[in-house]
Formats: sequence, C-alpha cells, structure tokens
Amino acid sequence: MKLSFLLFFLAQALKIASVTNSKFKKYIANASVKILIKTEAGPPARLFVFDKGKFHSVSGNTNDFDVALVWKDPNTAFSVMTSKSGDASFKAAAQGKLKVIGMSLYAQWFEDAIKLAL
Amino acid sequence: MGKIYGGHLAAKYLKEIQNVKMVFTLSGGHIENILDGLNKYGIRTIDVRHEQAAAMMAHAWSIYKNEPGVCLVTAGPGFTNALTGIVNAYLDSAPLVVLCGRHPIRDDLTGALQEMNQIDMVKPVTKWCATCYDIKRIPEYLSLAFKQATSGRPGPVFLELPPDILFIQTDEENVALPPKRDHKTALCPDPVAISEAVKIIDSAKQPLFIGGSGVGFSGCKKELEAFIEKTGMPFALLNNGRGTLPDNHPLSISDGGFTGITTGLPQADLVVLAGIRLNWVMQGTKLFPQAKVVRIDIAEHEIDRNRATDLGLVGDCKQVFGELTQKVKKNDHSQWLNTLQNAYKAFMTTELEKRTTPSDPIHPLRLVDRIMEVFGTDAFYVADGGDTCYWGLAGFQSAHPSGVQITAGSLLGCLGTGIPFALAAKLAHPDKPVIVLNGDGSFGFNSMEFDTAVRHNIPIICVVNNDCAWGMIKHSQEMSLGPDRCTCSELGLRRYEKMVEGLGGHGEYVTQDQEIVPALQRAVASGKPSCINVVTDHTVTSPATVIFYQNLSNF
Ligand SMILES: Cc1ncc(C[n+]2csc(CCOP(=O)(O)OP(=O)(O)O)c2C)c(N)n1
Ligand SMILES: [Mg+2]
Repeated sequence: MKLSFLLFFLAQALKIASVTNSKFKKYIANASVKILIKTEAGPPARLFVFDKGKFHSVSGNTNDFDVALVWKDPNTAFSVMTSKSGDASFKAAAQGKLKVIGMSLYAQWFEDAIKLAL
Repeated sequence: MGKIYGGHLAAKYLKEIQNVKMVFTLSGGHIENILDGLNKYGIRTIDVRHEQAAAMMAHAWSIYKNEPGVCLVTAGPGFTNALTGIVNAYLDSAPLVVLCGRHPIRDDLTGALQEMNQIDMVKPVTKWCATCYDIKRIPEYLSLAFKQATSGRPGPVFLELPPDILFIQTDEENVALPPKRDHKTALCPDPVAISEAVKIIDSAKQPLFIGGSGVGFSGCKKELEAFIEKTGMPFALLNNGRGTLPDNHPLSISDGGFTGITTGLPQADLVVLAGIRLNWVMQGTKLFPQAKVVRIDIAEHEIDRNRATDLGLVGDCKQVFGELTQKVKKNDHSQWLNTLQNAYKAFMTTELEKRTTPSDPIHPLRLVDRIMEVFGTDAFYVADGGDTCYWGLAGFQSAHPSGVQITAGSLLGCLGTGIPFALAAKLAHPDKPVIVLNGDGSFGFNSMEFDTAVRHNIPIICVVNNDCAWGMIKHSQEMSLGPDRCTCSELGLRRYEKMVEGLGGHGEYVTQDQEIVPALQRAVASGKPSCINVVTDHTVTSPATVIFYQNLSNF
C-alpha cells in the first residue's frame, strides 16, 4: 500500500514539474521513454510515460516499457526510493533486491529526472 | 659503395635503421622509386584498394605491434584519400608514419599533374609534417619523422618526398643513416606528487582504475599488473589500453562492458585515470562529479581538461606505475569489487538474457555470444559500426593486448575502420583468429579490401551484423523525427557474402541462431578471408544510440 501511494505521489510530482519546473521541462523536452516500476510479484506497479515534454502515468503492470525497475518486494522498494543516500539503488541492485530489465540507461535518466523534479 | 636512388635510400633507411617489416601502400607514378626500393630491401608491401585503408592499416599495425606503422601513398588523390585515416590516427594519438608522393618541385605552380598544397592541408591533423628537398637529407628527415611519431604523446607524421629527389642518384657513401635511438619518453613526476597520490590511493574505499591508450603505448603490462594487484583496485581498460591486462583478470570489470563502467564510476570515491582523455566517449565529467580524481598522463595539458583533478601525475604510465607500486600499501577491495559486479549484472539483466537465449530474428548480443563461443579469448576482435560497436564492446573478451578494438567508437567515430584494422591484426598475429563484427553500413566503406585480403592471403573473418540499416542513425531518427520520417538511414537486405565470394573469399548467409556456429566453423575450415552475413533483429537499439541522441538533442 505504502509503495502504491509513493508511486502515485511521485507521478503527481512529475506531472506538476512537467508544467512548472523549467529545468525539468528542458530535461524531458526530447525524451520518449516509458519507465515501469513494479515488484517481482507484479503489483503494485506504475508506468511513467515521457513523450517529448509531456508526462503521464498509468497504474498497473504492462510489457510495454523501455526499462522496468523490478523490486524484490514493496517494502524494499519503498525504503530505497525514499532513501536520501546516493547509493541506495546501487546497493539494492548489488544485494539482488533490484533488477533492471530493458535499457538500463533510462533508469539513471529517470533517477536524474526525479532529482530535478523534487 | 656506388650510387643510390633517392627512393631506394628511403627504403634502405626504413629497413636498416627502423627495421620496418611492412609498408601499407597503393601505387602511383610519383612514388615508384620508393616502391622499387622496398622490394630491393625486402620490405613487404601490402598494396590496398583505397589509400584510406592503407593509412588505417598502418595505424592499426602501430597498435597491434606497438611500433610505428608506415604507409606510402601517391600525390594528390592518393594523399586526399589517405586523409581520413590520418585524422583518425591523429585523434587516437597513434604513431603513424605517412610517406607521400608530391608533384615535382621543378613544376611548382605550372599546373603539374596532381599539384596541390598537401602540407597546409595535413598540418592541423599531424604531429609533424615536412617536405624533403635534398636527396642526401632523406634519411635525416625520416629519422625526424619516426622520432616525432613516437616521442612524448605519439601521433601521426607526414613526410612529402618529391620525385626530384627520389628519381635521382647520389653517392651512397656521402649519406649517413642517423642511428635509431630509443627515445621512448621516460618522464616521471615529482616525488612529492607521487607521495600525495599514494596518500589518496591508500585512503580510498571504493577506487576504480580506468586506463586508456597511454597505457597501451607505454608497454607497461608488468608495471600495471603490479600496481593493480598491490592496490587491489577494480579496473577497466579502454581503447588501445584494452588487454594490457587480460579481460578475464580477477580485478577486471570488462565483462560489464559499458554498463560496468557507467555503474561503477558514480559510486567510486576515487577514480584513477591513466593515459585516457576525458572526452565525449567518457562523457566528460558527468559520471563522477563527487569522486576524487588522480590523473596520469604524458601530456600535461590533459591533467585538468574537462574536469579539475585532485592530483595530476605527468609522466609515462610505465614509470609512474613503477614509482607508485613501490609506495602504495597492499590493499584488498574485493568486497567493493563484488558489490560492483553484482550491481552491474543487475543492470545488465536483459543483456545477459539476450546473450544466452536463441531468438528469431537473431539478437546482435546473441550473435556476439556465439562468436565468443567459437573463438573464446584467444583471439583478436574488432567492431565497426554504430549500434554494432556497442554490441561488440558489450560481449567481446580477449586475453591479448588490444584484443578488442571498437574502432568506430573512438574520437573520430569513423565508420569503415573495421576491415583495415582486422587485416592489420591478422598480419601482426597470423596464428590467431581475427574477427571483425561489421555493421552492414560500415561494411560498405572498405569491403573492397577483401580483394587485398585474398591477394595477400590474410584470412580474417568478417561477421556482418546485418540490420539492413544505418541502425544507429535510423534509431536516433526514430527518437527525434519519429518512425515515419526516417531519412537516408535504410539499407536493403544485401548479400554481402556473395560479393566476398566473387572476390575469391568464403561466404556464408545466416538467418537462424543454430546456423551461426557451423557457419563460423566452415569459415575457419575454408582458410580463406570470409564474410558471414548474419541477418539480425533490425528493431533493437543500443544504449550507445540513446547517448548519441541525448548528446545532440539537449541544446
Ligand atoms: C565515415 C562515417 N560516415 C558517417 C557516419 C555517421 N554514422 C554514425 S553511426 C552510422 C550508422 C552505422 O550503421 P552500421 O554500420 O550498419 O551499424 P549499425 O548502427 O546499424 O549497427 C552512421 C552513418 C560516421 N560516423 N562515419
Ligand atoms: Mg546496420
């Protein structure tokens, strides 16, 4: 539950930034990227869609993504995603708690996007 | 001693002083006398079908043999055709020696055949260039050329030899051949700077070592090994430094390819950069804004370029590693290495899966994996193309110095370098398999060199990763213009293997996973230069294309 709220709020924050935050707007202006966040079991899952400056998000699992961040379980996802430390996802990946499916480059791009938006 | 022609004198110097074994060339009237001299003095000539290939092969020879590579081209169009190869060597800091014909000095400004100002054109892309005007000074000029090519940071040199001095004779006893001196620079930094570096290295918790061409040119395998093994630092070697230590060294992260490096750099608290420029290939400074940086480079101006360095060590890698190793403490970073390896493998989940799973159409990563299955690490690999370079970098592993060369991924980003590099690799290491993975687009530039391969019996294996497109450009157009507006980036399905068969080589056409290995084995068994034309999945895009697109779209 905690994770689905977090994903929902993240989507809201990105949406607002895509309208109001000029640095963020520039950052996403040319990107066409679909990023899925989910757990190994599937739910909760949410797709974040960037389309040349526009942003929207859809709740639920899908196979139509460029990169998927697949978390071992919702609690890990929540604690890593809310961690202030710069190496939280790196450590989670090293410990087998996070797998990146698809174009992993976009995962880093997404992390940088979040930093700009929040 | 009797009389000697100028052209023969040049050949004599190459043979007797520089011990040049091979010259890459394409004939022309202006250089006839040098060609004749090369025969007289028993220097092997590899005559190619386009001067670009001669320059690229000589450049590659310098990399595979760690000695200057020599090419000889004729005046005018021979010169202009070679230019791309010269620029490529310039940006790669390779010791390429270009000997070039010229219209006669006698005919300056008369509208002579192939009269043009070559020197002004080549000056900005060489380390040194000159015209020799006196037959007696030919050896002296050649001696200067070789010294300039190899001293300090290496680079290409250009010597123009006009027929006025090549086609006349002089008394042989009047001409002294300047001796060759081993002036490989042995610059070493100040001891205080070394001590400072030792402090930084000893206190790092998560260090990462990245070595580039400077490591390769310095010939420092023993010193690098001692340094890496004493400090326990995980490392990646790139460009011409690749393979100075084998890719399967326990501290190497080369199995992570590009992902290994881009995952490791942001987490490192210390990045030691040796003989590598922080240019666009390294994404400048973006990847490690926080880390401490120690840079080792023979060129002082590189130390702070694109990123302020915490400590710069100006010197030759061999000397610097020797000094550092004596003073650094023995360390163990195996836990950090383990964490890093696990992390990048998690980021490479899809890549690892694609390698091990047969697919229809064939995924390029699977193709690379099948090639590795046949040849393993005891081989030389070259990749040439757009996306194709990424797939090669991600999957090829070699136990040999410069065993994996991603030619089009270097600073000039020059497509077409693959076949010339592979030919030079095979000439330099005739008893090892040499495989070039070629984009179908890139294959077009120098594929006529299969004729050279057949005439000179150089049995390379060229695997065409055939996505029927200038893939990197097509996929970036899909991102920028949209899939419906791609332009000038499609190529049809062409039977490149038949072209090679027509030139006297061996050809194979492959569309299914299970056909790849037998086709490679038949190519080896044929003993001929071979082309294996493999139709791969035209929809897949590599991360390199995304970076390429991002670079050009964020103005
Ligand atoms: C000599 C040269 N011409 C053009 C380019 C621009 N370019 C960069 S990548 C690329 C496409 C390469 O296509 P291919 O060799 O088939 O490899 P793929 O990307 O399809 O794997 C082109 C045309 C270049 N880098 N070099
Ligand atoms: Mg292609």
